[in-house]
Amino acid sequence: MNHRLNLSAGPHVRDRWTTSFIMKMVLLALMPATIIGIVTFGLSALWVILASVISAVGTEFIFDKLTGRPDTWKDGSAALTGLLLALTLSASTPLYAPIIGSIFAILVVKCAFGGLGKNFINPALAARCFLLISFPSAMTVYSIDGVASATPCAELAAGKVVNLTSMFLGSANGVIGGSILGLLIGGLALWAFDIIHGQICFTVIGAFTLVMGLFGGKGFDPAFLAAHLCGGGVILGAFFMATDYVTSPMSRLGQTFYGVLIGILGALFRIKGAAADSFSYSIITANLFTPFIDTYIVDKPFAYRVKEMNRRIDGWVKKPLLQRIPKPVLALTVIALIAGVALSGVFSMTKDTIDAQKAAAAAAAYKTVLPDAESFEAQNAKVEALEAKVYGTDFGRVYINEAMVGLDADGNVVGYAVSVTSAEGYDGNVTLSLGVNIDGQINGISFTELHETPGKGMLCGEPAFMDQFAGKTASKLTLGQEIDGITGVTITSKATTNAVNAGLDFINTQLRGE
Amino acid sequence: MNLTFRGGVHPKGRKELSREAPLRRFDPQPGEMVYPLAQHIGKPAKAIVKKNDPVLVGQKLADADGFVSACVISSCSGKVKAVEKRRTIAGTMTECVVVENDGKYTPIEGLGQKQDLSGITGQEILNRVKEAGIIGLGGAGFPTHVKLAPKAPEKIKYLIANGAECEPYITCNDQLMRSSPEGIVEGLEIALRLYPNAECVVGIEDNKPEAIAAMQKAVSGKERMRVLPLHTKYPQGGERSLIRVIAGVDYPVSMLPADVGCIVLNVGTAYAIGRAVAWNEPLFEHVLTVTGEAVRVPGNFIARDGTTFAQLLEACGGLKDGVEAKKALSGGPMMGVAVGSLDVPIQKNTNALTLLAADPVEKAEKDQTFCLHCGRCSTVCPNGLVPALMADAIHMKNWERYEHKLYGLECIACGCCTYICPARRPLTQLFKQTKAEIMARKRAEQAGGKK
Repeated sequence: MNHRLNLSAGPHVRDRWTTSFIMKMVLLALMPATIIGIVTFGLSALWVILASVISAVGTEFIFDKLTGRPDTWKDGSAALTGLLLALTLSASTPLYAPIIGSIFAILVVKCAFGGLGKNFINPALAARCFLLISFPSAMTVYSIDGVASATPCAELAAGKVVNLTSMFLGSANGVIGGSILGLLIGGLALWAFDIIHGQICFTVIGAFTLVMGLFGGKGFDPAFLAAHLCGGGVILGAFFMATDYVTSPMSRLGQTFYGVLIGILGALFRIKGAAADSFSYSIITANLFTPFIDTYIVDKPFAYRVKEMNRRIDGWVKKPLLQRIPKPVLALTVIALIAGVALSGVFSMTKDTIDAQKAAAAAAAYKTVLPDAESFEAQNAKVEALEAKVYGTDFGRVYINEAMVGLDADGNVVGYAVSVTSAEGYDGNVTLSLGVNIDGQINGISFTELHETPGKGMLCGEPAFMDQFAGKTASKLTLGQEIDGITGVTITSKATTNAVNAGLDFINTQLRGE
Repeated sequence: MNLTFRGGVHPKGRKELSREAPLRRFDPQPGEMVYPLAQHIGKPAKAIVKKNDPVLVGQKLADADGFVSACVISSCSGKVKAVEKRRTIAGTMTECVVVENDGKYTPIEGLGQKQDLSGITGQEILNRVKEAGIIGLGGAGFPTHVKLAPKAPEKIKYLIANGAECEPYITCNDQLMRSSPEGIVEGLEIALRLYPNAECVVGIEDNKPEAIAAMQKAVSGKERMRVLPLHTKYPQGGERSLIRVIAGVDYPVSMLPADVGCIVLNVGTAYAIGRAVAWNEPLFEHVLTVTGEAVRVPGNFIARDGTTFAQLLEACGGLKDGVEAKKALSGGPMMGVAVGSLDVPIQKNTNALTLLAADPVEKAEKDQTFCLHCGRCSTVCPNGLVPALMADAIHMKNWERYEHKLYGLECIACGCCTYICPARRPLTQLFKQTKAEIMARKRAEQAGGKK
């Protein structure tokens, strides 16, 4: 025993789990959802994931080398950020988006604040929101098998019925990490292995379901609630984003409070705001509250939680519930709720105005496409009979919004006008009005909703394309024959033609009396 | 019944190294035996011998000084060589009685004689315990005669015998319970006489089935006594954890176990009480485990106080060939104290010598990262604290928040948070230091206030 013995304060053993082990476990837990995503969306999903992960790890590597910091890129947290970001993107996102997003997440959100453990919001979500703001059109294209379409979540927000099974399994359109099954396998495993805290993920889901049931407008209808839980990243958010260690509170009570906050905000944003991104924003908002929660909402030790024991400590008086919650917490909660309600209030208040303007635009459009008519008679009953379902089978996801019969000054029918929406535009909906005169000849079309890429999809709104429709008498038009599509604008051209065909079909079968 | 407490960790037990090794007595060769005067919590004892005084086994070397203090008993016969400062387990130089052991172990008159216990009063029991120098053998070393004398003995509901032995590696109490269950029960019966309304519960972790069986056999037919198997989880053998499990109560540090109707005795202490009161044998030897990956033949001993770690290691055949001990611990790896030299005397409350072949702390220091805020420390804290926030408060020097919002002084320094921390932050160490500083400041303020 002539060598030196180590001296240190106890304990002298450590648990096997290190930071990087935990990060790798979370990565592993994301694998089921990742694999299902790649299988569903094909190789393009793989490219998005690889671009995101590699640029995240690479950014941290370069940052470590340039600043001479310890090699933190190896610990798996950068890869986790990259993967989480990729899972919240659509497989059809252009590759520059995940790359820019990952660099932003690692460099600005994480490293600039001091690296892992010091960032104040979730880097992956911050990057997602950054991309949503920077590239709104590229970020909201969701396509499956090369066909762009609305996500179930968007359809849900529009009050339509969705296929729950495909959402659950992950075969529905949406983000890469959209498989609820895959996410649940990973998330529940993490919870079972005590890596994530049940008091966060389950309260998020619980609070979200409760608020959705109370204020969602459909009550506690299981199918409605399940569809909302399966869509829009609720599960991904609850199990993998909200539970992010660095940006969530540390005490149990704080974590519970934080989970409830996310659930409530998420549901409010979902009901009254942007459906698909409500969870990204609610989690980031709650992240900002974490330091306050940690400051004011901390569990008491077990010995002080029991009433009987408390009475035995000198001078202890039980305060009413409201007084036991520190005032700043109350104030912050109130502010958060007011902000949430205000945000959603603005949306609902302006909604009427927007709708009125849309109606005016539609009326003007009817006039444009059917100039002979002096007045229009709405055919609500026939439209309602469609129950807001996809119209027909040959036109893609097309909906008939309104149908009008055009009358001249004497009350004679001069033609018909319909407003049709195709949900298969490159960037959301394409809505147009179609006017057909009494002879079955197309008078013209007019777009009431078209926000495609400038210089590409927007070309469909130019006379060169639009005017082709006027004068056609065929009951069905085909792109490339009667109508020349615009090169490179296939999706919008197709959506427009489909909408016109659906409108023609509706007029011919439903409106023409003969 | 809930057989465990909230929080806690499951470190590797490593008890298999020594659990089957039967207790054997170890008498060191003639030479120096060192008896520190401060082996217990409270005031150090006052030496009552001087240089060249002859001493016998069982003779008192130092007397308790004040109420919270304990006597020191000689474990060998010979001559007092000096009363001087020597290096002890804590690493500091403290006042010790040094006896030159003649190797004959001549006992003092009446040692080991069966005593007649009929009609013995409670005060008499306490006196004998005090004279025998008994302190808590579980680790802290609180004088037992003080612990056994609560203000209201009739309010004590549970006399808890702590046989949990939750600390990894250590197996000496396991062996004691297996080999001398009657001796333990004898001591518990004597202690139970002090508390007319108490029930005695022996708590043993369920990784010691032989000890549970032996103790169950020993308590069968005894009144007011039972054995309770407990879940194996660290720190199950902590006073608070046991009280939580057996009495179902959590209590703050400002209260003593007696305030919630409990007295907790280590099984080794109970055994010592039995020997002292019924057999007139004061506490000069106790059970101890010598273990660890670096030890050739780990074993359990009945060792005399004053023996050095080096002598005990020799009795185990020394170190394994080609293995270097990285760290020597007095006690187990969770609550044990690292010692810098093995030439220090064992004390009454020394329950193990653990020689680690690898030091996980070395690696942990390299792996240290920022706090992840993962909250695992809070999950495992047996007291329901939030260690990560406590550490933050310390770094911000926000003592008010540390003490009153986070209840930092409730920390029992069990080490669970440091053990579990994936960022490898030294939390427990920080809290121990802070607690000491805050207490010192409070004492200084009180002293200032009195003037």
